[in-house]
Amino acid sequence: MDTFILIGITGIGLGALYFLVASGLSLIYGLMGVLNFAHGSFLTVGAFVGYWVATRLGPETTMTDFILAMIVGGLAAGLFALMIEQLLITRLYDRHIDQALVTVGVSLVVGAVLGGWFGNDLIMFPTPLWFLTAVNVGGAMIPADRIVYIATAVLLLIANWALLKFTRIGLIIRAGVENRNMVNALGINVRRAFSTVFFLGGFAAGVGGVLVSVYSNGVSPLIAGSYLIYGFIVVVIGGMGSVPGSFLAAMLIGVIRQFANYYVTGLGDFVVVILLAGVLLIRPQGLLGKVRA
Amino acid sequence: MNALSVKDLHVKINESHILHGVSFEVPTNKVTALLGRNGVGKSTTLRTIMGFYEGTGSIELNGKQIIGMPTHKIVQSGVAFVPEDREVFASLTVKENLSLAARSKDSAAAYKFVYDLFPELDTRAAQQAGSLSGGQQQMVAIARALLNKNEILLVDEPTKGLAPKLVTEVAEALTKVAEQSTMLLVEQNLALVKRVAQHVIVMDQGRVVYQGGPENLNDDSWVHQMLGVSGGHK
Amino acid sequence: MLRWKYSRPLLAALLVALALAPMFTSLPLGKPGLQQTLAVAFIWGALALTYDLLFGFTGLLSFGHALYFATGVYVSCILINHEIVSWWLAAIIATVASGVLAALVGAASLRTTGITFAMVTLAFGEAGHVIVGRNFFNLTGGENGIALNADFVPQFWIGVVNTKYIYWTALLALIITYLVIWWVTESSAGRVFAALRDNEQRVQVLGLDTQKFKLLSFVISGTLAGMLGFVMLIAAGSAAPRFAESSVTIALLLMVVIGGAVTRWGAVLGGIFYSFASTRMQDLTQQESFKSIPEWIGGPIAEPALLLGLIFIFIVMFAPGGLSGAYYRLRMKALARKHS
Repeated sequence: MDTFILIGITGIGLGALYFLVASGLSLIYGLMGVLNFAHGSFLTVGAFVGYWVATRLGPETTMTDFILAMIVGGLAAGLFALMIEQLLITRLYDRHIDQALVTVGVSLVVGAVLGGWFGNDLIMFPTPLWFLTAVNVGGAMIPADRIVYIATAVLLLIANWALLKFTRIGLIIRAGVENRNMVNALGINVRRAFSTVFFLGGFAAGVGGVLVSVYSNGVSPLIAGSYLIYGFIVVVIGGMGSVPGSFLAAMLIGVIRQFANYYVTGLGDFVVVILLAGVLLIRPQGLLGKVRA
Repeated sequence: MNALSVKDLHVKINESHILHGVSFEVPTNKVTALLGRNGVGKSTTLRTIMGFYEGTGSIELNGKQIIGMPTHKIVQSGVAFVPEDREVFASLTVKENLSLAARSKDSAAAYKFVYDLFPELDTRAAQQAGSLSGGQQQMVAIARALLNKNEILLVDEPTKGLAPKLVTEVAEALTKVAEQSTMLLVEQNLALVKRVAQHVIVMDQGRVVYQGGPENLNDDSWVHQMLGVSGGHK
Repeated sequence: MLRWKYSRPLLAALLVALALAPMFTSLPLGKPGLQQTLAVAFIWGALALTYDLLFGFTGLLSFGHALYFATGVYVSCILINHEIVSWWLAAIIATVASGVLAALVGAASLRTTGITFAMVTLAFGEAGHVIVGRNFFNLTGGENGIALNADFVPQFWIGVVNTKYIYWTALLALIITYLVIWWVTESSAGRVFAALRDNEQRVQVLGLDTQKFKLLSFVISGTLAGMLGFVMLIAAGSAAPRFAESSVTIALLLMVVIGGAVTRWGAVLGGIFYSFASTRMQDLTQQESFKSIPEWIGGPIAEPALLLGLIFIFIVMFAPGGLSGAYYRLRMKALARKHS
């Protein structure tokens, strides 16, 4: 039973990391039709800026320091995402393939610059000592960092939901995901919403970058790789443009992957791909996705 | 006085020439019906006025050139659009659909007008628009267009696919709206057209072939020749 | 496509020169180092061409092309090392296996289109990478990969002195790939591919099963990639997970876009340039003069991805059509001047 809880919670923690990447990917795709390969770069930029903040803040990282590192890392990644959107994406308005290609280029350039500066080896990310302790959950000893991942993801999910539900820009984003032309036809410049979505997606990915650095035992330009791919899978399974769908799919995939890996090492990734193929065959629009007109 | 004046409008979509020099006027404070067989370019004309398609020629709104402007700017300068197939935001509530459309800060009067016209929208404010019936969705689509001050209303086949009882309801609403606005209406239901239109334009194969008063609509042979349908006595 | 009356004789002359050059040890191409670099570059050029069939000619943006290439590498290596069949039969089986896998994965992923198709193929490709990295049944050697057992392949492919044979094999593979793709794209099926890319609805109206044609393009492309996998195994001497990474497909995409899609020679040139530049950039940055550049600029420049990424972004933003597109634009201008 203890092992069961441990694997389950670790799986949810991993799912939380996937969600931080996937939520932005899903909204960016849903609203703008952009397949954003630069999303991994947003994660890496957030991780390195977070690392810089955490190392500046003192020999011993406190919980406050860490939260500050997450926020600053997220903001930096959000601003970087905004810059990419303004500088490159908007100039290729509605040329979806070219937009995807340009983001591939961005990910290469960012990887090269960070690799040139810091090398590609893992650099220790300073964390609060509390992360190394274990928390008793229903008799199972859960590593404390998992709790942080889950809490952050839930917090961002709620913030995201509130923004989409209660603000005008959120209303525009939700309507735009469904039918962009009609939003324009109501006299609203839908492109204003694009920047918001890029910033928010970048912010979530940047926060995710700091957490991924903790989970991977360090920061490097290469940490984003598998999270970006899992992010894509989560988006497809959850349904394009649906943030709750991404959350559901991320948790599902995190848990399934951990359990499969527990029984047979390496089986997890395989099971996830089978799941993906199954969803595509049975429900191509994803769990909470809508059929596009 | 003309609210909208279209001159020599040409439109190509994916290399195929859809509109071949369309010219017509929409007089202010009147309802103008845009008629023609299926596929002659009526919807394309409306959607080009809206800026969805690129075209060459001239489209003037109260003397101001709007061709080539982005859609949201065209709408802000006073063109409202009720699209074919309604295109309500299915996952948004009725209220959210309306508040998205209402651009001015002070829209209480506009809301009152809309709710008087369609009381159902008030009672169903919290319902998801996707779960409404076709007729109710059409009300949302029309209401969205009425929440702002408009120079002209473009309405594309508002009764398409509706049950006869709902057709009457939508027709009554449109008649009320017509009393105080300029409208360019694409509609297959000739009975409705006869009831509201004061001006008629007929298109064929991407060109305007008739422009004038509605009196010919009572001439069955004219209607048959122009529109390929037999009269409006359904 | 615009033709130049000297292009065919010139191409023939270039091929003869490339084929004969390794015989003369005084030439740069007489040295094993350059032969090896170029052999690998030829394979990448050919692989880029198979990707051009998908992306350029049929309009399918796949991010999982590495899967079929890696299948060719691994299946042939496993069959040879375990002495299951002789090397040439291993090559054939590996090629067919890649084609079959492409048919299966293609049938599932082609249920989606556009950007979703890109994501789905990416996921399947990544699954392949994970599987070879895990060493199931002790077959793939995990993260380290497996070395080709030199005893079971012809001896003319083994050893530094014999690099020229690897060079010739790679050149031959490039020519075969080019001819097959040329034949396919000029055939009536090839015209359907192009029509699918430009306007799928119009093809449907003609009553053709668009899914079948897309799958055909996907399978032809995957099969050729599998064959090139075998050639890469000979050139690299081992099968490693890096051949299955999604970065392989991304590199192919860069090659095609830089060289220019739909011209065939553009993709080949892009592949050769990319592969050559990646290898030579590192050598260049080892030099003394390079050390004088400050570390914060020099570090990133030493990564080939920086320059290639920037070129790529520039081409997508400002010069669609890549190198070959630019060439044809120049020729168009020259022609227009002649006629005016």
